[in-house]
Parts: sequence; structure tokens; C-alpha cells
Amino acid sequence: MHPQLQLLVALQDMTGMIKEVEEKGSELEGMGFKTAGLDDLKRAREELEGQIEPQLMGAFQRLTAKFGRAVVPVVGNHCTGCFAQIPSSFVSKTNAGKLQRCESCGRILYWP
Amino acid sequence: MDIAEVLKNTSPELFLPDLKATDKESALSELVAGLTAGMDIKNPDTILQMLQSRESLGSTAVGPGIAFPHGRTLAVQRLTILMARSTAGVDFDSEDGEPTHLFFVLIAPPQDLGHQYIKSLATLIDTVQEASLREKLMAADDYEAFCAALRGE
Ligand SMILES: [Zn+2]
Repeated sequence: MHPQLQLLVALQDMTGMIKEVEEKGSELEGMGFKTAGLDDLKRAREELEGQIEPQLMGAFQRLTAKFGRAVVPVVGNHCTGCFAQIPSSFVSKTNAGKLQRCESCGRILYWP
Repeated sequence: MDIAEVLKNTSPELFLPDLKATDKESALSELVAGLTAGMDIKNPDTILQMLQSRESLGSTAVGPGIAFPHGRTLAVQRLTILMARSTAGVDFDSEDGEPTHLFFVLIAPPQDLGHQYIKSLATLIDTVQEASLREKLMAADDYEAFCAALRGE
């Protein structure tokens, strides 16, 4: 996997986690989970953002603002953001380490 | 949600009856290695990183001798539950300072409609509150016996 893509996925996962704590924190605490480290997690997210190339970070933020999620999994050769078919050439060996975007919606593609 | 429903998200391949790790960092690695071996996962590092982030929020070792590492990640397509056991116990940074012997790892995709994962987590936590059940889980010979104990059979 492209190292920058790995960072973007981690960033998106982490953002989802922070959002979940902010929205459902009381539910989680009701189950006995502490969420005292929320500020630590937010700092870790900032650090992670700092490791992403500025241009890519800009695209990630624009896509997140537009779609909610900038990175989407490809399932059964389809972009799960817009359900457009992803050409098989995208998954060829020569493209394995590349960062690829859906030609139809522009979302960043991830093969889980 | 009942426990039988929750157990549909696990399998014998996702059961680790005898963890080797004794500290948190290596236990998380061993749990993720178990997930990778038990199902088709291409990006185990992504899952490990997510679980580490979750622990930085606060330890998931909240039950008596039990931890529930959990979270959502793009790296999985559906709710997946791994169950693990450690006879020696793991220092998992629990609130009471006691070692952790039982692990229920829940990994969910971001788009988990209906919050199956939170409901499953709540059901598991409720189920294992009973001390006699925890003894049965520690003594269970195999995956089937472990699940039967959870179902109260
Ligand atoms: Zn698309």
C-alpha cells in the first residue's frame, strides 16, 4: 500500500473515533469505558496530519467536506462511494503502490 | 441483541485459547496477527494502529480480568469478533491493576448501519459480568465449549 494512503486511512479511522466519542461518549462511558485520552488522541491526529503531503492533505480535506469520507474501499471492482466501476487496469501490479482516485467521483481508493 | 446473534460474527479461526504475550503492546500485536490469520485482511497494520489509538483514549480492560479492544476501520468489510484467552494474564493497563485473562476484540467497518458493533459490545459486556461464567470460559476446552458457556448452555 502507498505509505501516504496508509496515513490517510489511519487519519480517517482516527477522525471517526474522535467523532464517535464526541457523539456517543456517554453511551461508551455507560458501558464502563473511559475516554479521558480524547485530547491525546486529537494531538496524535494533528501529528499524523503533519506527516501527510500538503497537497494530498488539501485534497483529503476537500473530499471529506464534500462526501464525509475521502477514502473509500473498493469492493467487487466498484468504488463504494459512487458505485462506479473501477477499471481492472487500476489494480494491475504496476499500480499496486500508487495512490489512485475514482475517475467518476474523485474519492481516494483503498483496497481492503 | 442476544449473545447467539453476537457470536455469528466470530468463528473457530478467530479464537486464540492461549495467548503468549504478557504486556499490552505485544498482546495487541498477537491479537491482530490472530485476526489476520483468521480472515482475509490485507492491511493488519491499519487495524493495529486503530486499536492502539483506541487504547490511548483509555484502556479497554474494563471488566474484571477482561478487555474489549474495539473500533471501526476501513480495513474490514463487516463486523468481526476475535476471542482470546491468557492463562498467565496480560498487563493491559486495567483500572483495577489486575491482569487481563479474557479478550473480546470487535472490529467494525465505518459504515456499520444500525450500530451492530456498539450493540454487540454492550451484549458481551453484560454477558461476562458473572464470575461463574468467567471461570467456565477460562476452563473451556475448545471454541465450541467457550461459545456454549457464553450462551449459558
Ligand atoms: Zn467513485
